[in-house]
Amino acid sequence: MPPLLLQPHASLSHAEALQVAQQAPEFLRKNPASYSASPLLSLFSPPENSKIWTIYENLLLACLRTGDNTTAHQCLERLVVRFGASDERIAALEGLVKEAEATNNGELEKVLKEYEAILAEDNTNTPIAKRRIALLRTMGKTAESIEALVQYLDFASTDAEAWIELADLYLSQGLYSQAIYAQEEALVIAPNAWNLHARLGEILLMAAESGSEGNPQNYLAGSLKRFCRSIELSDDYLRGYYGLKRVTDKLLNGDSKAKKSSESDEFTLPETSTIEKLNLAATKKLGDIVRNYDAKAPLWQGYDAGEVAAARAYLSNTSQKVVR
Amino acid sequence: MAQIPAQTLHRDPQLFYWILIPITIVMVLTGVLRHYASVLMATTPKKADIKTIREQRALAHGANLKTNYHVLSRKAFETRRDFLIDGFESGAYLKNPQQKGQPPANPLSDPNAMEGMMGMMKNNMAMIIPNTLIMSWVNAFFSGYVIMKLPFPITIKFKSMLQAGVQTKDMDPRWMSSISWYFLCIFGLQFVYVFLLGSDNAASQIAQQMQAQQMPVGPMAPGQDPSKMFKAEAENLAVIEHYSVLDGVEERLLERIRV
Repeated sequence: MPPLLLQPHASLSHAEALQVAQQAPEFLRKNPASYSASPLLSLFSPPENSKIWTIYENLLLACLRTGDNTTAHQCLERLVVRFGASDERIAALEGLVKEAEATNNGELEKVLKEYEAILAEDNTNTPIAKRRIALLRTMGKTAESIEALVQYLDFASTDAEAWIELADLYLSQGLYSQAIYAQEEALVIAPNAWNLHARLGEILLMAAESGSEGNPQNYLAGSLKRFCRSIELSDDYLRGYYGLKRVTDKLLNGDSKAKKSSESDEFTLPETSTIEKLNLAATKKLGDIVRNYDAKAPLWQGYDAGEVAAARAYLSNTSQKVVR
Repeated sequence: MAQIPAQTLHRDPQLFYWILIPITIVMVLTGVLRHYASVLMATTPKKADIKTIREQRALAHGANLKTNYHVLSRKAFETRRDFLIDGFESGAYLKNPQQKGQPPANPLSDPNAMEGMMGMMKNNMAMIIPNTLIMSWVNAFFSGYVIMKLPFPITIKFKSMLQAGVQTKDMDPRWMSSISWYFLCIFGLQFVYVFLLGSDNAASQIAQQMQAQQMPVGPMAPGQDPSKMFKAEAENLAVIEHYSVLDGVEERLLERIRV
């Protein structure tokens, strides 16, 4: 586990982000404002390494997240001094700061115009293209955002991050089969990512529950398999077990009247006894996780509090039903 | 057998101050200068345009599908396979589709390739010219006498190398002349450069030679016809016999949980 300052910022919880942001002024004071390229001076000043710039970037993001705009500006200034304002990544960070400081829609529109001007000059500028897509989404223009993202993926079809974002966008619009397709593309790029498997399982489950298109039985079978694969890749993965329990519950409670899925190439459901066993295993594991987490067992504290709470609520909910 | 008495030569200590140190300083300074000269001469790598990127990524996409098809269900895989094979064979991903089937351009007439070669030329020149100059300077001013004795014994084979310019048959090979000090400097100053200029400096030539040997072979080596590569990739995709890791995953999982 790298130190907090070096972790990718998106993976931090709110509390951790605050902790990082509070370290920012200290870090800014300790490090020189700029590094000289002269060989003589470099003998006497602390050596420059790439970690420092990662830290600056993380501090910048954390400060923006916690609303400390002045410190964010200081971080950005140092990055600009080092890499120049025309650098793609720096330009995107600059845009991010402007977005964060915008107070109304008009200002956001202005930032969007700037992005478009940059993209008109250089249409391969990945960071700016991504910022534009994210900004469109923030402004509620989901359809435009999807369109831009599809355009981006046409030339960058190996970008898993973008595929996941696309899946999320489609899901927010209730377009399940498109979301599933995009999520599968991400899996083709990262075949052993258990969180992506579980996410695909969740999307499939949602698709089955909405029941708007396709055969729900098919979706459920796929979902069951995705959750199983996710757990197979990562033991003790809470989301995997939670989803497994949801999907097996759903399969066992009624819904069996649905016709046996046709001979299509999609997945077929396993025997009912297997589903029951899986359900039992998932219930047991979820119970273990919740109990150990609540008991503050030292090795079980890595879970997200919200996810554990959801599992606890779901467990008590289903056990009541059984009692009744 | 009696011990051979150690040879002693009386040298003027001034030799040390006026030959060894100047040669070393000059070598270090030229290394530093060379570093900055190559930094100045370096051209920023040319940005690929969107069509080129698209072509390369599409190939990589096909390769990804080829290796990771097992995460997909049969139907999902077949949809993607048919789509990609279609695109690959019709040349939809090619940088310039009208050039399909034509022989690749001569790399010498391609301005992009020329630029790369010029860059290499520049680097080599930046190395050869100062080295020749210093060597002739050392030869002109300091040749013909020994300046120091190595602190360790070496075999007779080194004599011609270390005592260049001093043709004395019986002299112990440990005595070395100024030209050999120059050679020692060339190979021994790496760490001084690393200390002064950082580890990725352009002054250390050994590192550069290593780089030249393992030239990066990009996904698109020049002179390769992309349309042929797409054809090959499409064939690779077409012959895949699909299986999925999701087949029987429930049983596998139960097996594992029970154990």
